[in-house]
Amino acid sequence: MKKNTMPSRKNERRLIKQLIEGESQAFDFVVTEYHNIMLSVARAIVGEAFADEVVQDAWVSAIKALPKFEGRSSLKTWLLHIVSNGAKSRVRRENRHVSLDDGWESVPADKFDQAGHRYDDVYTWDNATPESLLANEQLQTIIENTFQNLPAIQRAVLSMYEMEGIKMDEICNILDISSSNARVLLHRARTTLHHSIEKYQDN
Amino acid sequence: MAECKDIAEEASNILNGDLPFRKRIALHIHLFYCSCCRNYIQQLKQTIATISVFRPIEKDSTDMSALAKQLQELAKKQ
Repeated sequence: MKKNTMPSRKNERRLIKQLIEGESQAFDFVVTEYHNIMLSVARAIVGEAFADEVVQDAWVSAIKALPKFEGRSSLKTWLLHIVSNGAKSRVRRENRHVSLDDGWESVPADKFDQAGHRYDDVYTWDNATPESLLANEQLQTIIENTFQNLPAIQRAVLSMYEMEGIKMDEICNILDISSSNARVLLHRARTTLHHSIEKYQDN
Repeated sequence: MAECKDIAEEASNILNGDLPFRKRIALHIHLFYCSCCRNYIQQLKQTIATISVFRPIEKDSTDMSALAKQLQELAKKQ
């Protein structure tokens, strides 16, 4: 789990100044806040094997380019574009095709009859709030494991959209995918997580 | 006419408000009379809210303080 802190525009300018001046707290902050989502983007584009290296290189490029950062986007989006460009050129250099979203069934076929009606009734969940669902440690583990088992590109889309609040068109630019593709990936990730909670609730 | 399977396939687009007018109407008509699909949409909403609160992250063994230190030194050299 990760806390959510989004610096305001003004705070971000101050943060960038602190980074340029080499203040240690600023480096701790940006690494803690952005390293994980950068890794997620790298894994989605280049795969697990090269992701760590791509993110390391992206950090170095970003620190070198920081004095020229114009603030046209947020620092986070800027960093994600740097990691995305690095990952894309790594893919080209390695001449490899990364397919990270195989083997997913759009909607489980056994839930519907031929006319598209549900076989089983769907009931409301008793523990309705996120807090009450998450009070159950077993369910927390199920959600965590399901998330980790999602294809890397689904994790990246889900994390950027749901957790980082990045807009869909920006996500498409970062991952170099079409809007319809991004929406499908988001839906797949949400649906898989829903299935895992549903399965637990039904037991 | 929209069926339960269409709702399952378009659920995220329904929640994101991201559908062409005719399709949106067809799906909402189905939701009007199908309590199972209304419950399904509600469950998906709860799933999304739960993930947003839980905020799972990538597995990562990076030593964050060491990386921060390394970057700080790089910035100072510039």
